[in-house]
Parts: sequence; structure tokens; C-alpha cells
Amino acid sequence: MHLTDLDLLLWTAGFGAHLILFCVLLIRRRYREFPIFSAFIFSNIVRTVALFFVQQHGSKASYFYTFWSLGLLDTGLQLAVVYEMYSHTFRPFGRWARDIRDTLSWLLVATIVVAAGLTCLAAPPVRLWMQAVVIKCNFFSSVCLTELFVGMVVLAVKSGLPWKSHVARISQGLGVYSGIDLLIETGHSYFGAVRHTQVYAVLSHFRMTAYLVCVAYWIVMLWRNAPEPRKLPDSLRGQLIRLQRSANSDLEKIRVRK
Amino acid sequence: MVNTRTVVYLFSVATLVTALLVIAAHYLRRARRSSRNDWEKLLKRLIAVDRSSIAEVALDIIDESGQQRRDEGSATLDAAQIWKLVGGLDGLEVLAANCAVLIDLAFYVQQWYPEALLVTEQMRLSAREIQWHVERLRGAKKTGKLESAFPMYAQRAVATYYLMTRRILALYELGNHVMLADLERTL
Repeated sequence: MHLTDLDLLLWTAGFGAHLILFCVLLIRRRYREFPIFSAFIFSNIVRTVALFFVQQHGSKASYFYTFWSLGLLDTGLQLAVVYEMYSHTFRPFGRWARDIRDTLSWLLVATIVVAAGLTCLAAPPVRLWMQAVVIKCNFFSSVCLTELFVGMVVLAVKSGLPWKSHVARISQGLGVYSGIDLLIETGHSYFGAVRHTQVYAVLSHFRMTAYLVCVAYWIVMLWRNAPEPRKLPDSLRGQLIRLQRSANSDLEKIRVRK
Repeated sequence: MVNTRTVVYLFSVATLVTALLVIAAHYLRRARRSSRNDWEKLLKRLIAVDRSSIAEVALDIIDESGQQRRDEGSATLDAAQIWKLVGGLDGLEVLAANCAVLIDLAFYVQQWYPEALLVTEQMRLSAREIQWHVERLRGAKKTGKLESAFPMYAQRAVATYYLMTRRILALYELGNHVMLADLERTL
């Protein structure tokens, strides 16, 4: 497999950016709050190293299978990161807020149906069936991630559940990148991998650059601390607890009445 | 040569992207506006309601402490009386709009004291429940069943609103006496 200087530059920059971000997660102890996101970043470091060695010492076939196996893992982890962000936002007490459970289920179903429908419509011109599978899988995951990001924004605003500072930053980065990726994967699906290989490569470089900007954004935002909360006075805490106890039964009593 | 399937594909993706962009922009703007709220702006968004009417409808099924009433004098209001006191569907819409503001008010307190989440979450759920009742009434209006549906849903919504405003006032009473005076005037 031939790599251009630009390929190598983007590859090295991506590796370095992930390494810095992972150090930020460790030094600032963000991995405690975001274990899945940290695992996702760590997997990208491992992936880059593994692919580099396979590319240098392995066969073309082994590179192909390693690339796409790790690509699937990457997509799975991206979806898991989305789950982690949803979990931080919509599980204020460790349980999914009861008013959004149904909406979440519908959102998930709608996301998959729309993404699957569009993926079925895509007919990228390819030489090998595997190329079509790869292009379609990438397209499917980019549609899913973008829809889930927008769904998260809508749900958070409508339900009145605010994003915490770092959750918002991670979600925004991933969401904007997913949106750009959706357009790029549409381009990949349209141009395919037969006649327009140059266009395919340019689009891939653009995607990698967009992702680098996203990682840089995460580095800065996750290095910064979230705004300090004020300390709740003990007297107010006691009164709030009493208030909460009485509030808990209010709605139940109203609901019971027929 | 671009075939029909490709045209449909590109058109569908363009439609999806446009829809997602519009939706995201709209809700991000709303989120930004909420986070920039200050006390004065929030109060200006509240729509004045007849507090005595709200109390009358709510206290028909609950007592002052929020307990469900089971005495003989409870649940005496009929559909027409509730309709008049609440101000019909428009009146419920006002309560629903005020609920959104009340969530923001509670959130405003939470910005100072994140540990107040317990209370604000209860407020949020109450407000969402009122919105649900209003949605049901909208549906009943469309199907011509508003008259029969109104007492059941409207009275519950009003009772929930009543309890929620009391909780908000209690929350502010604990935290900020100056703000409480403003809030009592508006609610």
C-alpha cells in the first residue's frame, strides 16, 4: 500500500493528537468521569500503532483485515461514547429519567430506520463487494451518530436536562465531526472507489483533517476545568431534603385520582 | 450517468442534512438563550395567571400540604366550572408555558447550588407532566372529545402546577428572600 506524504503527515498528527488527549484525560483524571470516551481515545492510539506495524511488516490482505476490524471497533466505541454522553445527561440520579425513556426508544428506532433506509439507497460504484460494504457501513454509522447528536440536543432542551460542561464539549465535538463525516461519506458513496479514486482520497484527507480539529478542540476543552459549583450550606441542604420528601408524593397522589 | 436511484439518494441525504441542521440550530439557540438567562429576563417570560382560580381548582382535589383530599367536600367542581376557572385550553397553554419558565427558574438556583438537583428534577418532571396533559387535551380537541376529557386532565395539570409553584416559592424562600418577593408578585 502506497502512502503519500500527506497521508503520513495526517497519520502522525492524528497519533500525536490522540496521545496528547489521552495524557490530558489521565492528568486531569477525566477518565473517571468518561471511561468509555477514554477507552475510545486509547483504542485510536493502539489502532494507529497496530496499523503502522502491519503496514510495514504485514501483507496487503492482513492490513486490509486489520484496518476494517479495528474500524468496526472504532465505530462501536463511537456509539458507546454517544451512550455515555446520553447517560450523563439523561440519568440525573443513575436511572434514566422516566419522562424520556419512551422518547429515547423511539429516537433509537427512528435513527436506525432512517440510516438503514438511506444506506439501502446508496449504490457506490465499486470493484469489490467488500468496498461497497465498507462504504455503506461508514455511511450508516455517520448518519446514526449525526442523528443521535441532534436527538440529544433536542431531548436535552425539551426535557430541561442541562448538559454538564465537559459532556457538552465532547458531544459538540463528536456531533460536528459526525455531521461533516456524513457529507464526506455521502461523497464516498456517490463517487465510489473505481473511477474517482483521487476524489475518494481527497475526501478522506478532508475527513481526517476535520477529525484532527475535533481532537484539538477536545484537548483544550478537557484540559480546562468545569466552572466551580458553590458549596451548599448545611441548613439549606437539610431544608431541601425535607422539601424533596414532601414533593415526592405529590404527583403520585394526583395521578391516583380518577 | 446519474440514475434515478442516485438522484433519490442524494435528494434524501440533502433533505435529512437540511432538516438536522435546522432542528439543531433551533434547539442550540434555545439552549444558549436558556443558559444566558438572568433573573429579570426569566421573570419577564412568566405570564400572569389568576392565582386564586388556580388554587380553587387544585384545592378541590388536594389539600394545602399536597395530600389528596378524600372528604365529602372534595372533587365538587364540574367540567364547566373547571373550564371557566382554568380559562379553557388557552389557560392550560399559559400554565404549560409558565412551566418551562419555572424549570429555568429552578435551574437558575441550581447554577448556584448544583446539589439542588433533587428538587429541580422533581420540578422538571412536574412541568413535563403538565405538558403531557396539555398534549392530551390538544388531541381531545382534535377528535371532538374535549368536553369529556377536560375535567380529568385539566384538574390534574392545575393541581400539579399549583404544587410546583409552591415548591419553587419554597425553594427561593430558603435561598433568596429578595428574589422571593419578585417571584410571589409574578406567580
